[in-house]
Amino acid sequence: MSPLPAIAPTCLRVAVAASDTATRSRLAELVTQSGHQLVEMAALPDAVLTDGAADGASPASAVSLGAADEGFAGLLPPDATAAQVDAALRAVAAGLTVRASIQQSRNFGPLPEEPSSLLTPREIEVLAALGNGLSNKAAARHLGISPHTVKFHVESLFRKLGVASRAEAVAKGLRRQIVEL
Amino acid sequence: MPENVQDPLNSLSAALVERTRLAQPLVAGIVAPGHQMRSGTLWRKDVVAASEQSFPDAGEAKVTLADGSAFTAHLAGRDPGTNVVAFRLDGTPDIAPTPAEEPHPGALVLAFGAEDGGVAVRLGVIHSVGPSWHSRAGGRIDRRITLDIAVGRREEGGPVLDAGGGLLGISTLGPRGRVLVIPSATVEGVLEPLLSKGRVERGWLGLALQPVLVPEALQSAAGQSRGLMIMRVSKDSPAARAGVHAGDILLAISGASVSSPAMVAQRLGPESVGEQVELRLIRAGKVLSLGATVGPRSSG
Repeated sequence: MSPLPAIAPTCLRVAVAASDTATRSRLAELVTQSGHQLVEMAALPDAVLTDGAADGASPASAVSLGAADEGFAGLLPPDATAAQVDAALRAVAAGLTVRASIQQSRNFGPLPEEPSSLLTPREIEVLAALGNGLSNKAAARHLGISPHTVKFHVESLFRKLGVASRAEAVAKGLRRQIVEL
Repeated sequence: MPENVQDPLNSLSAALVERTRLAQPLVAGIVAPGHQMRSGTLWRKDVVAASEQSFPDAGEAKVTLADGSAFTAHLAGRDPGTNVVAFRLDGTPDIAPTPAEEPHPGALVLAFGAEDGGVAVRLGVIHSVGPSWHSRAGGRIDRRITLDIAVGRREEGGPVLDAGGGLLGISTLGPRGRVLVIPSATVEGVLEPLLSKGRVERGWLGLALQPVLVPEALQSAAGQSRGLMIMRVSKDSPAARAGVHAGDILLAISGASVSSPAMVAQRLGPESVGEQVELRLIRAGKVLSLGATVGPRSSG
């Protein structure tokens, strides 16, 4: 079997539509940061990046930062990263619709259920250390316990969270939300 | 076909059209400056209730009813806890929605939303009914009612009516796009404070909590195996003033043991503001008690 031909990531021509000049320059910077070429609206861009100011007359599919208007092909949170902007611009230029998954979970909803397997205070501390990118050794130093004990807690975390890697443990552990009351 | 009217499908269709006609006066289209139209429910004369999360920053808005009449509306108050926002208008018709029947899973419902020049309608069933619940923002919702239909962002906040035409509540988009109903009783309960004070007061301690297993060696002293680890204490909060530290494990509030955030939220209703409570904690391997005065939670 021959390998699939690789699609080289191309640079898109992106125009910006913003309600004021400060936002305009911020969006323009995001276009450059995400590796694309900034063009004028009249220059038939491949995609548009907007704060919600672009309207139906926009010459290409638009990615909107912060606006909740379902009319846009792409909807990202206002604090979207350059990598997210890059992915969204490529997707809408290819005719796809983009929605940030976090927006859904921010919908009105209940307090999290009590998880079936609770972590101990020490496990929570070790998980936080893993989340900060510390090695077992560094975590041990930070928490004032032996690396052997850290390893023991990490194994227990893997078991309780049902994961096989440190990254997965951090991702899943963080999803157990902290609630402010 | 003269027997057409006897046909069950035709009768159902005619009944739905008639219900929609009766429901139309309740449906409000709300346009906040710089935003797309959203839906709301004309709750009573001059008051529109809608979904709080649909109006992140509105102060003034234009409200259009299905008969084409337009009003300038002012945001009277918002409650993220129950996801209700109240708009005050001037000169709407007087309306008195019919109270809903007791909701049952499987019962037919109609969900309405605003549409340019009319209403949008969805027909569905009540997917599930549960007891009262607490939202992430700390509000208490009287019933957990979910619907089996999809509702668009634009329609969210419109009225949901039962088969008898009774007002069940307003539609709300929940986690993973699931449609919830904020029951009429809950909306009613928060409208008064929203219209008079602009907010719903709720208790606040200033604690970021995560459920935790009480270390085995301390379980007998604590008298329970589960508690809430205090991950953070907000600056100048009631908990900070009481001397609570991050890393403490909360076991009980005024004698009632707490092992989930919902149990704490339950203790922090509107009546709790100003109340003296006793916080039972584990700190450094010992059980201790601190006195705190519940403060008011700022909206959000």
